[in-house]
Amino acid sequence: MRRQHLLAATCISLSVLAAPAGLMAQTAPTTVRVGLDVDAGTLDPRLARDTSAYRVTDLIYDGLVRLAPDLKPMPNLAKSWENPDPLTWIFTLRDGIVFHDGSPMTADDVVFTYQTILKPEMNAPLRALFTPIAKIEAVDAKTVKFTLSAPYSPLLSYLEMGIVPKKAVEGGADIGLKPIGTGPMKLSRWDRGSRIVLTASPQYWAGAPKTQELQLVVIGDNTARAQAFEAKDLDVIQSPLSPQDIKRLQGNAAFGNAVTTGLGITYLNFNTGDPAVSDPRMRRALAQLVDQKSIVDDLYRGVDQVAGSILLPSSWAYSATIRQPAFNPAEAGKALDALGWKDTNGDGIRDKDGKKLTVTISTHSEDPNRVQTLEFMQSVFQQAGVEAQLRISDWPSFSTGYVQKSQHQVALLGWLNIVDPDRLMYSQFSTNGPLNWGKYSNPELDALLDTGRKSLDLDARKTAYQKAAAIIANDLPYYVVSYQGYQVFYAKSLGTLEVNPRGYLRNVLGMAAR
Amino acid sequence: MLKRALRNPSLVVGGVLTLTIVLAAVFAPLLATHSVDQMNMRARFAMPSSAHWLGTDNFGRDLWTRIIFGARISLSIALISVSAAAAIGSVVGLVAGYFGGWVDLLLMRITDVFLGFPALILALAIVAVLGPGVLNVSIALIVVFWTEYARVVRSATLVLREQAYVSAARALGASHGRIIFREILPNTVGPIIVLTTLGLGTAILSESALSFLGFGVPPPQPTWGWTLAYGTRFIRGEPWLSIVAGMAIMLTVLAFNLLGDGLRDILDPRQLSRAGRGSRNSTTHGS
Amino acid sequence: MLTYTIRRLALFVPMAAGMVIVTFSLLLLVPGDPAAVLLGQEASPEDIARLRMALGLDDPWFARLGRYFAALLQGDMGRSIFQNQPVAGVIGERLGATVELALAALMVAIVLGFVLGIAAAMWQASWVDTACMLLAQLGVSMPVYWLGILLMLAFAVQLGWLPSIGRGEPLLAAAGMALAGNPGPLLKSLSHLVLPALALGVNSAAIISRLVRTSMIEVLGEDFVRTAYAKGLRRPRVIVRHALRNALLPVISVIGLRFGALLGGAVLTESIFGWPGLGQLTIAAISQRDIPLIQGIVLTYAMMFAVVNLLVDLSYALIDPRVRLG
Repeated sequence: MRRQHLLAATCISLSVLAAPAGLMAQTAPTTVRVGLDVDAGTLDPRLARDTSAYRVTDLIYDGLVRLAPDLKPMPNLAKSWENPDPLTWIFTLRDGIVFHDGSPMTADDVVFTYQTILKPEMNAPLRALFTPIAKIEAVDAKTVKFTLSAPYSPLLSYLEMGIVPKKAVEGGADIGLKPIGTGPMKLSRWDRGSRIVLTASPQYWAGAPKTQELQLVVIGDNTARAQAFEAKDLDVIQSPLSPQDIKRLQGNAAFGNAVTTGLGITYLNFNTGDPAVSDPRMRRALAQLVDQKSIVDDLYRGVDQVAGSILLPSSWAYSATIRQPAFNPAEAGKALDALGWKDTNGDGIRDKDGKKLTVTISTHSEDPNRVQTLEFMQSVFQQAGVEAQLRISDWPSFSTGYVQKSQHQVALLGWLNIVDPDRLMYSQFSTNGPLNWGKYSNPELDALLDTGRKSLDLDARKTAYQKAAAIIANDLPYYVVSYQGYQVFYAKSLGTLEVNPRGYLRNVLGMAAR
Repeated sequence: MLKRALRNPSLVVGGVLTLTIVLAAVFAPLLATHSVDQMNMRARFAMPSSAHWLGTDNFGRDLWTRIIFGARISLSIALISVSAAAAIGSVVGLVAGYFGGWVDLLLMRITDVFLGFPALILALAIVAVLGPGVLNVSIALIVVFWTEYARVVRSATLVLREQAYVSAARALGASHGRIIFREILPNTVGPIIVLTTLGLGTAILSESALSFLGFGVPPPQPTWGWTLAYGTRFIRGEPWLSIVAGMAIMLTVLAFNLLGDGLRDILDPRQLSRAGRGSRNSTTHGS
Repeated sequence: MLTYTIRRLALFVPMAAGMVIVTFSLLLLVPGDPAAVLLGQEASPEDIARLRMALGLDDPWFARLGRYFAALLQGDMGRSIFQNQPVAGVIGERLGATVELALAALMVAIVLGFVLGIAAAMWQASWVDTACMLLAQLGVSMPVYWLGILLMLAFAVQLGWLPSIGRGEPLLAAAGMALAGNPGPLLKSLSHLVLPALALGVNSAAIISRLVRTSMIEVLGEDFVRTAYAKGLRRPRVIVRHALRNALLPVISVIGLRFGALLGGAVLTESIFGWPGLGQLTIAAISQRDIPLIQGIVLTYAMMFAVVNLLVDLSYALIDPRVRLG
């Protein structure tokens, strides 16, 4: 009953608004306002490093491929590709593509884009993803050939990165500030730290978007951004959102909502080089003290999902039968007893040889949900007789000054953009891998990850990654706490919105076309 | 004096409030109705009841217990930082004002350096260096607070050192140390006490601001700052947490401010306002 | 007056240099590596090491500090590591917003402060006095960000009267448009400004009101005011001409003293209201360990501090002929 009233009220207010809007429809652009959590650092797709830069450059630029919702690479600027052998990829480009400055897009631009990202002095954050590329050449104006130093099947997924115009960039254009792409939107205004305004590119090859103007407004605080949305100052907000705002927004009939599993995980990184957690039995016991369900349901309010293994449910490699240890304090207690950790002095904390059982768990202060997770974990650990020290500091101190230096025991953090299992496992678990901060080493796993990286056969890759995931679920260099959820809320006046797991906004353009 | 004090409503209300809060902090273990860190995920964000006098927080912990234990942390930070800042700042001010010349010049330029930073940002940077925690937050606040004392005490000293009794002491051959600490310091105590009382409130507000930005005393310590920082994030759905933490902070700061105002009235009000004014001028002219 | 101004500005140099050195030392000690933050979690250790070298982060500290000062003498504040633009430009884009917000907050503080303070002084010891001073006490006792969120909740979300976040056109530009016959942007800019200015200004308003009250009561009791009454001047005139003028002095000094607090408060206010100013930039720069940008911001704060204090001292001389600059 109450909802009906609300709906009626909304309809009235909408029709009141619609009257003048209808008259002005010929002149006024259709504008959609989207909230961003941070300003983009740059609008050069090669240098993008924050989610906002990814989301905005996706609108301004096109890549060779684009990823379908199931993460399968689909043709985009490249209309087709072939592998004469595992080390060679040949792409044929679409005809008639032009950059926003009117110049045609050719194979030279593709070669330039990937040659520059590989240059060390470019300092591209994603450079490591492309290092297996040995040579890139333009066979002719419409054909590009990639030669690899070793077979590297995940490459295709990474080729969604935007292509930049060679001539303009070599001519001195700063595309980080004034981007020039081939995408559906172009930049019309950027007030640093405040908002990015994009307008439709009329010459877009797949048809100009109906949304004439897209305003991306930066509001750092999650709660404030949600409030701005409720105050109708924004039309769309998306993850990251405060879990506590989500339930309320869901109850509001004026807002549309969609949820999907994102492409990120939140996990515990065990430092296997630290004596405290070097024993896999100890890691398993501690993992059994992580109450995933309460964390996900109560702290994340159902936005994230309980994780079963390191494979994402949306991935082609997923298997529901591979399971890490689940929450089981009784089992954990027995395991700790068996390891010789018993509370002999009655202070509530287990001890062995006169030493208390203590672990240090760390995370960063910017994410209050992670801080809450740690606080909650500590309480459960305490009840099981494990003293947990919390170490909470800001991101640079925590990440670059601590975990990346392998000084942690147990750290709570995350990975994003896992478009291929290789991206979450190869550098992270290979012996001496560059991102192997937990110093894990297992020759069997090394071999499996190598197979997964090199094989071009999807079934062979799937088998390799499932075996690898089973080893990880047993040995626990990582304990995956949750699969990160992705949420979007939008004003229903805009129609219905499909979700994109990374918060890319092309669907918003289509949505406003109604 | 006591009569005057009792007729000053600011002083009485502020004093009683302060005393209540301090007693609650000191006797927190006796007054607590629950364990500080006992979580109950099925009773999160409960409203006040006979079981939970102030309701529960985002982990279902008893808020009354958390608030009175939190008072210990907030008051410790406030006391440590303000008293150390007062001691350091006063010595700097006394030395600068008494000796004058290049000593004064040097010390006042150093004071300027620290005064030039927005307080919150300097404190935040120091916590980033030292890491979060009660002691480190206190140190950060000392670095931010001491300048105020240095300036006020210095200008009071500039006036006092020209007084007849100081000249007399000097003529009698008293050492510099004796003159500074026996003759001058006692006469600057009034402004120092008032500044200190008001500074306690500022310290508590600063701790909560640092917590909001993630640079305070981290959980699971039951600090008011983090409770409020959590609370503001839950403010739309469960405003109660934010209200309780906000009120705790507000009442405590209010108590210190009322007390400070009252003390100012009692301890010769004109002396402080003149000292304050003088400090502005003296840095102006300071050269 | 001119020589005085020059001498005062000369004092800025050692202060700014000192602030740069303090900042530099803090950045030397702080954990966290700008190169690793810039390149992100997926960067290889080799890439990070190469970038550290390119940025000169591995050079000895005296070389880095010397290089910074040498560049500074040539008017070069360096490049922001993260935005890959000159620091001066990055700060320039944000400075206007913060100055606008701080001035608006100051206006709020002065207007509210004087209204409360005068009312309390005129009806001294009545319920008006008590109410005004209680309000003032509450104003200084509230955490700034809490007040900000509560204001936003009330006026933007519940009542919908004002926009919750963001900034309109810069106020000066908007005023220009209004003069040219287009008042829309000005109204929009002002509507964006109200809540953050209020949130930021209330604290200072409370302090000013207490000062105004005290000095007015003090002045109202002094001989020349009694003389003014005796000469038959009417009450409002006495208040404005004599009492208020004297009350201005301490208030102005407080404005100077509280400028740092206002800028610090702006850090919180800006992040709550999405105001694209220096405060938000400062937090971002610190959380990225963007060393040249942090240094540039610190220098900017130093300059603002020096200018504001100079203005305060000069206005002293204007208001009170007894104050001589020398």
